[in-house]
Amino acid sequence: MKNFQVAVIGGGIIGSTIAWELSRYKIKTVVFEKGSDVASEASKANSGVIHSGINSKPNSLKARFCVEGNQLFKQLSDQLGFSIRFTGKYVIAKNNEEIKELKKLKQVGKQNNVPNLEIQTEINEPNVNCEAALWVPTAGIVLPYQMTVALAENAAINNVKFLLETKVINIKKQNERFLIKTNRGEFKSNIIINSAGINCKKIVSMLEKPDFNIYPCRGEYLVLDKDHSNLITSMIYPVPQKELGVLGVHITPTIEGNILLGPSAEFINDPDDKITTKKTMEKLQIEAKELIPSLPDIGVINAYSGIRCKLAPRNQGGWADYRIEESKKTPGLINLLGIESPGLTAAPAIAKYVNKLVSKHFELKEKSNFKIKKQQKRFNELTKEEQSRLIKKDSSWGRIVCRCENITEKEIIEALSNPLGAKTLCAVKYRCRAGMGRCQGGFCTQHIVRIMEKNFKMDVKQIRLKSPDSYLFTSRNREVDI
Amino acid sequence: MPKKEITCIVCPIGCKIIVKTDGKNCKILDGNKCKQGLNYAKSEALDPRRVLTSSVLVENGDWPLVSVKTSVPIKKKNISNVLKEIRSKRSMAPINSGDIIIKNVAKTGAAIIATKSIKVTK
Amino acid sequence: MSNYIVDVAIIGAGPAGLAAAASARENGAKDVLILDRNGWLGGILPQCIHDGFGVEETGNSMTGPEYADKYIKLIEKKNIFVMAETMVLSFDKNRVINAVNKKGLHKIKAKSIVLAMGCREKTRWNIMIPGDRPSGIYTAGVAQAFINLYNIIPGKNVVILGSGDVGLIMARRLKFEGSNVHGVVEILPFASGLPRNVVQCLDDYDIPLFLNHTVVNIKGRERLESVTIAQVDEKMNILPKSKKEIRCDTLLLSLGLIPENELSKNIGIKLDEATGGPIVNQFFETNIFGIFACGNCLQVYDTVDVLSKGAKHAGKNAALKTKNKNKEINVKPGKNIRYIIPQKITNSGKINFTMRVLKPEQSVTLIAKINNDEIYKKKLRWVNPANIVEFDIEINDDLLKTGKDLEVSLDA
Repeated sequence: MKNFQVAVIGGGIIGSTIAWELSRYKIKTVVFEKGSDVASEASKANSGVIHSGINSKPNSLKARFCVEGNQLFKQLSDQLGFSIRFTGKYVIAKNNEEIKELKKLKQVGKQNNVPNLEIQTEINEPNVNCEAALWVPTAGIVLPYQMTVALAENAAINNVKFLLETKVINIKKQNERFLIKTNRGEFKSNIIINSAGINCKKIVSMLEKPDFNIYPCRGEYLVLDKDHSNLITSMIYPVPQKELGVLGVHITPTIEGNILLGPSAEFINDPDDKITTKKTMEKLQIEAKELIPSLPDIGVINAYSGIRCKLAPRNQGGWADYRIEESKKTPGLINLLGIESPGLTAAPAIAKYVNKLVSKHFELKEKSNFKIKKQQKRFNELTKEEQSRLIKKDSSWGRIVCRCENITEKEIIEALSNPLGAKTLCAVKYRCRAGMGRCQGGFCTQHIVRIMEKNFKMDVKQIRLKSPDSYLFTSRNREVDI
Repeated sequence: MPKKEITCIVCPIGCKIIVKTDGKNCKILDGNKCKQGLNYAKSEALDPRRVLTSSVLVENGDWPLVSVKTSVPIKKKNISNVLKEIRSKRSMAPINSGDIIIKNVAKTGAAIIATKSIKVTK
Repeated sequence: MSNYIVDVAIIGAGPAGLAAAASARENGAKDVLILDRNGWLGGILPQCIHDGFGVEETGNSMTGPEYADKYIKLIEKKNIFVMAETMVLSFDKNRVINAVNKKGLHKIKAKSIVLAMGCREKTRWNIMIPGDRPSGIYTAGVAQAFINLYNIIPGKNVVILGSGDVGLIMARRLKFEGSNVHGVVEILPFASGLPRNVVQCLDDYDIPLFLNHTVVNIKGRERLESVTIAQVDEKMNILPKSKKEIRCDTLLLSLGLIPENELSKNIGIKLDEATGGPIVNQFFETNIFGIFACGNCLQVYDTVDVLSKGAKHAGKNAALKTKNKNKEINVKPGKNIRYIIPQKITNSGKINFTMRVLKPEQSVTLIAKINNDEIYKKKLRWVNPANIVEFDIEINDDLLKTGKDLEVSLDA
């Protein structure tokens, strides 16, 4: 099938949530994703925070969608099964100047209708240094890649076509439709949803002269070993650094029990420069230790970076509101520009809004057979009785492949059997967590590769780590004649 | 006779032993701290040999490769020829550790012996 | 859920677990059970196809698989029960083990447990190498498994970081299999592996060894494209003018091993920060009654011979009824000693000590003192951090009764 009514460009959290919302209706939808899986870019490389809205400018779209989105998370999580936890957040003030900032933040929060904000002088965090803190109970955490996968896979089982490793090269308006040229052929669509993230300007440029610029801003993170998970219960943020329009170095617990330090904020020229730097990694540890003196010097198990799509440069304060609108110059092109933090939180609300924009073009008729694929509990989260029952049903539940996180062979096979057709090592990692422990795949990688070979008949020379050209191997040692 | 420096491998000190050798005769000049070092340096100067270990492709086995070694140390200069022959050899499961995989590999007089047992694949 | 009751349960069927199991049986344990998470026995040995194993123990230089085979045959002969492809999920102070395999969940009650879980490799993030995060970065052990077990070559243009024996062995292995090995990079001023391996893995094949160097950057958006190496000074600071970019598609990390004690930590087994493994007495017993530790999860050994020797002691003591403890004394590492095992002595007798030094030295004297009284002295021609030093001291009851620390140090 090459003709669609809606083409979503970009399979990140925004594109996937929009695709899922649309999948309820009888609308032929396709998602083009140039990476080898959904959540290939910023959608997996962020803090995984469900923001409350205290950090957004009142009356902005950021504030509106953040607060609306926040309220939709519980229901979404119940429906699709991805994990969330409302840990709450403390914004820490170390001195009187900073306490004044807390009061300002509380005000902003009130303006944005953020409930139950409270300035406290004694906080429930024995390891944190502070004079006073703003307690934000509606802030929470989620695994951004798990959530994106849940939304995308649910869209896929409801007939949204996901085309991975498919890059949009050119778009032309042809009569009332768009002719979309990709590396995997040509497609036609009535509507384009530009949720291409950092590449949103490239897409606009294919159809019109953009009236905006994007300013890539890199955020680096450190991931700490689960051994240290009992240092904090809630998120710990310093008072926001005004100059950059970003949040500063945070300490965020994850659903799985790790701790994230970061992000940093560095304006860069190359939007694909997802490196981690020595300077920043050291700075993250130093700044985090100022908030939590008992943070260990060792214990980093991973580091990563994500690139924010900012619409304002550093010398203009680095802050600009979201632009979510149908292009006036190119009807049918719905742009989502500058979707940076609180993008993850805003996604469910943004998707509902985009639905409304789409409904101006098509009548949204609900499907009667809307399916739900609910994320199942992990083997290691089940009771002993449930575990025994599963092993009896299918013995591959009984073989543990990822020893750090206790992930079974069955879960790896399920991950590789995903409805999107993603078959990289990271596709396994982000679905069932194998490889995300402290040994970082030291034990499980060889076994996952063996499963790919045996159960999925994959050619070892074709196995990739995460993206189309990230091959794991170059050749066989001894060639086997066929 | 040209001078040569040989790193002794008998113990972890790794003395650098200076010898004078023309391939047929050898005189130790300096560097060794013990008698074993002396003997090692002489044999290394006149007749350097190595035990080679590698893998041979297995057909119909529960593992695709069987690890192998040379039955005795072979002359250093024959290493690449031996490796070449090992590369092109195919063997069939079942294999028992100790089985001779290649007799007289690259005409060195040494055999290539399996160091692992491989069962027939189920 | 299946329930078992055994005399000795051994977690790990690598060389330590196998030796401990055989020894437990030889010393009277009736029901001995070994559990291993892999489908094969021998732990890491089946992929160590190079020779050099067992020279001290048997006089012959065996390959890893051959050494493993020796012990596996012993296990079979002695009717030791094996649960392979079985993961231990937890164990507790009462020596009840929870394990799982394809047959289901298992609860094993043991009179003694021997921990032989081995170790894991340090990763890129243990030393936080900055740069891109491409494919093509492997720890040396994982690359070794792919080449030797699974018939897969990870890459064609290789740089190796770390000159320990695993790194050196892999340099030669990759060269044998047709890859270009651009060099081995080592931050210290000397190679950490044996001179034998420097000669037979690097010198023999003209593979350069960059001493006083480390990798300071990794480049490659999808697959590795290059690494940048730089020289360091005595304080380990990078000399920026010395930076050199090496084009490659594979980076092998041979950064060192971390004893695997995640399960042990959870139940309050006290660990020694210097070894990474449990604190044990001369019987290899941890601070928890009936739980013993041996092999690489106790300390990272340099030769399998010394490892097996210790494992046999651990197995033996796991089988015998534990003797009554007297006043215990602590063993303290003194001058130039990084660590010493056992860390506690609870009974008199001939005690075998293993230790590692902080820096290489020649012509030193090992001195052991209790309460400033010299009780042992030994001249050593050489010591270096890469090699475990072994020695035996007779400790009698009078020495134990003092309750004072036994201090071991090296004097020039």
